[in-house]
Amino acid sequence: MRARLALIALFTCAANAQQIYDLVLKGGHVIDPKNKRNGRLDIAISGNKVAKISPRIPAAQARQLVDVGDYYVSPGLIDIHTHFDAQGAPLNLNPDHNALRNGVTTAVDAGSSGHKNFEEFKRQVIDRSATRILAFLNIVGAGMYGGKVEDDPGEMDAEAAARTVRKYPRIIVGIKTAHFQPPTWDAVDRAVKAAELSKTVVMVDFHPKPGRGYRELVLEHMRPGDIHTHFYGRLTPQLDDQKKVQAYMWEARRRGVLFDVGHGSGSLWFRIAVPAIQQGFVPDTLSTDIHKDSIMLPGATMTNVMSKFLAMGLTLDQVIERSTVNPAKAIRRPDLGSIEEGGVADLAVLELRKGQFAFLDSGHGKLTTDKALRCVLTVRDGEVVWDTEGLSLGDWKEAGPYSNFK
Amino acid sequence: MRLSVLILTSLMAMHGSAQSQFDLLLKNGHVIDPANQIDGVLDVAIAGGKIARVAAGIPAAEARKVIDVKGLYVTPGLIDLHAHVYGYSGSIFPDDSALLAGTTTVVDAGGAGWRSFDEMLRRVIKPSRTRVLVFLNIVGHGMIGTKYEDDVADMDPEKTAAKIREHRDHIVGIKLAHFGGEGWVAVDRAIAAGKLSDTPVMIDDKIFTNSGRTSREKLLDKMRPGDLHTHMYNDRQLEVIDRFNGKLQPYMLEARRRGVLFDLGHGGGSFLWPVANKAMAQGFAPDTISTDLHSSSIMIPESDMPNCMSKLMNLGMTLQDAVLRSTANPAKAIRRLPELGTLGEGREADVAVFRLRDGVFAFKDAWRKKLLGTKKLECVLTIRAGRVVYDQEGRGFPEWTKAGEYEVIR
Repeated sequence: MRARLALIALFTCAANAQQIYDLVLKGGHVIDPKNKRNGRLDIAISGNKVAKISPRIPAAQARQLVDVGDYYVSPGLIDIHTHFDAQGAPLNLNPDHNALRNGVTTAVDAGSSGHKNFEEFKRQVIDRSATRILAFLNIVGAGMYGGKVEDDPGEMDAEAAARTVRKYPRIIVGIKTAHFQPPTWDAVDRAVKAAELSKTVVMVDFHPKPGRGYRELVLEHMRPGDIHTHFYGRLTPQLDDQKKVQAYMWEARRRGVLFDVGHGSGSLWFRIAVPAIQQGFVPDTLSTDIHKDSIMLPGATMTNVMSKFLAMGLTLDQVIERSTVNPAKAIRRPDLGSIEEGGVADLAVLELRKGQFAFLDSGHGKLTTDKALRCVLTVRDGEVVWDTEGLSLGDWKEAGPYSNFK
Repeated sequence: MRLSVLILTSLMAMHGSAQSQFDLLLKNGHVIDPANQIDGVLDVAIAGGKIARVAAGIPAAEARKVIDVKGLYVTPGLIDLHAHVYGYSGSIFPDDSALLAGTTTVVDAGGAGWRSFDEMLRRVIKPSRTRVLVFLNIVGHGMIGTKYEDDVADMDPEKTAAKIREHRDHIVGIKLAHFGGEGWVAVDRAIAAGKLSDTPVMIDDKIFTNSGRTSREKLLDKMRPGDLHTHMYNDRQLEVIDRFNGKLQPYMLEARRRGVLFDLGHGGGSFLWPVANKAMAQGFAPDTISTDLHSSSIMIPESDMPNCMSKLMNLGMTLQDAVLRSTANPAKAIRRLPELGTLGEGREADVAVFRLRDGVFAFKDAWRKKLLGTKKLECVLTIRAGRVVYDQEGRGFPEWTKAGEYEVIR
């Protein structure tokens, strides 16, 4: 019996010693805020899973070894405000090149579709994308497909929305309300109702009206865990006339309301964000609101948004935390946003460039800074899908003769 | 009196928006405009969406907005002759893939046929800020899969030519692609449509065993002067290099003398270092540089225009030559020179500004093999029809601290 145990132990040992990994990212500075990792670690991947995280994994155990010693390695980034329903609203974008090239392995579409067209979005885009695409379902049945309908409470069926959420619990993470103009609480309250019915959270894009104020929104209508996006924009009075953060912002934060950047074309103004950050009112989550307009002059990609917050004084650890574990928590997906042995291998390799850089905001003001983040390599589901420096690729001169066979 | 006039004049120059004759002035850039034989440090002035003047020392006071582009290269907006923005399963939107790379005109290579063009016009061409032109697929349904693309019955030269005549402002030629059948029928029909509509044909056509076609016959007998063969550095379409002796096939030069044009069309399978390297070393450069950019070639191969240009520059092409083959040459190939592809006065102001970076950069081919190079073009600013649409470093904008008060939207 004892001999048998010893034999098993020996076997296990031998198996470990001879473990071969498909891919090892070697020597990178790993920042994994959820697990409080912040230092040089090797990461081994087998299949689509992270197999081992250790200060030293021998090169001999790697089928493919990628030296990332010049870079930071973070969990694949999570952007919780995107518009990737490429079949839908005219401003929407194709997901993969906009997400994966910027280190985003999980993108949450923020209400492009509603219960009437979510399944088409799933078929046409979600199922065909390499990026993991999740969704906030619009409380409006037709989502953002067509203008006026977004103002029509008759189109906001909380039951129907909740049914769709329950049908796709691995994809739909919550409810979105956006763009609603009438001076009533219909949109917000029905979105909250749908979230209660489906046990999810609401992301709110809010346009205050007389009798429908921002203070009431964050203190009375939103629940702890609900997310206000676009909170550094000009739509909502987050600062008083002296540029002081309003008391109700702090109170809302104490209640558990979350504040998300949602950069977009209109919602990250340095003139608002800088004083707010100086007073300590930093975002819970960074996100892009990436679409055909915001990607142009404001350059609202995930790594750019992160660079802008570095320039405004957040640390690298803080911006990565707000782009990985925090958004994962906000959408209640604890399986995402960190690096775990046995967890899915979604990773971003980031370069912190030093030099002179400048970034535009939504108000077309410029912030000049001395560092910028760039994604050099992305691993999604265990596969290298982006590798701008060719770190994982062989030199063509060693590729042998070409032939007409691939 | 004189003094007050002087004061008035200088005041006007300082504030002088009302009197400014230009909307925008790009100052101190190195302008490369091959169609006009311009290659030197000059200023470019824009007014009313058009190029107003290209000259040295245009006074800053004459423009409402001045952007200093010292140390950067200023070129006509690039023209990508082989893009996929409609129809094809890997097609991507033009604005976020083209304008960010300095490409202001894309030519969709066969996504739509005569049956689907109207939908493309509505859904892609009109809403895009990028200028979208079209090679119309000889297949009526367009590039929507083998079943359709191999269907000779849907290759109708008359209907294709009729659609072109109806939309001359958008359609510049015919595309033949992906035909997997035997014989010359697809090539012949595409060329027949080209003759009927008096437009060039872009051909993407595999040569395979038993196809009953040869490259030599295609290039020397079938294609007309001005027709384009794309994917030239692929090894299954043309075999520009003899795989046994590594030499350029002599009939490639003969085809070029006849006026057949060779287009890059990088894509996910058609830029191979061994082919490109040997061809460039023997002087067989592309007439036109193009990307075949789609959802997969935009990823690891990074086949956008500045990268395609950089790859060729790291194989020996000069920057001036790369700009020629990305502006004036493609404009000429689609018979849009001098309206497009130049910075000529009075032309629509499509302008790209590039930084030529020195360093060590990896460039990846369609086989995902890398070449380490030392030069890389990077787009920093794009102007489309006189408007700054992309400005990586905010060169055209003030620091946020000087951008004035903001208004809360109520």
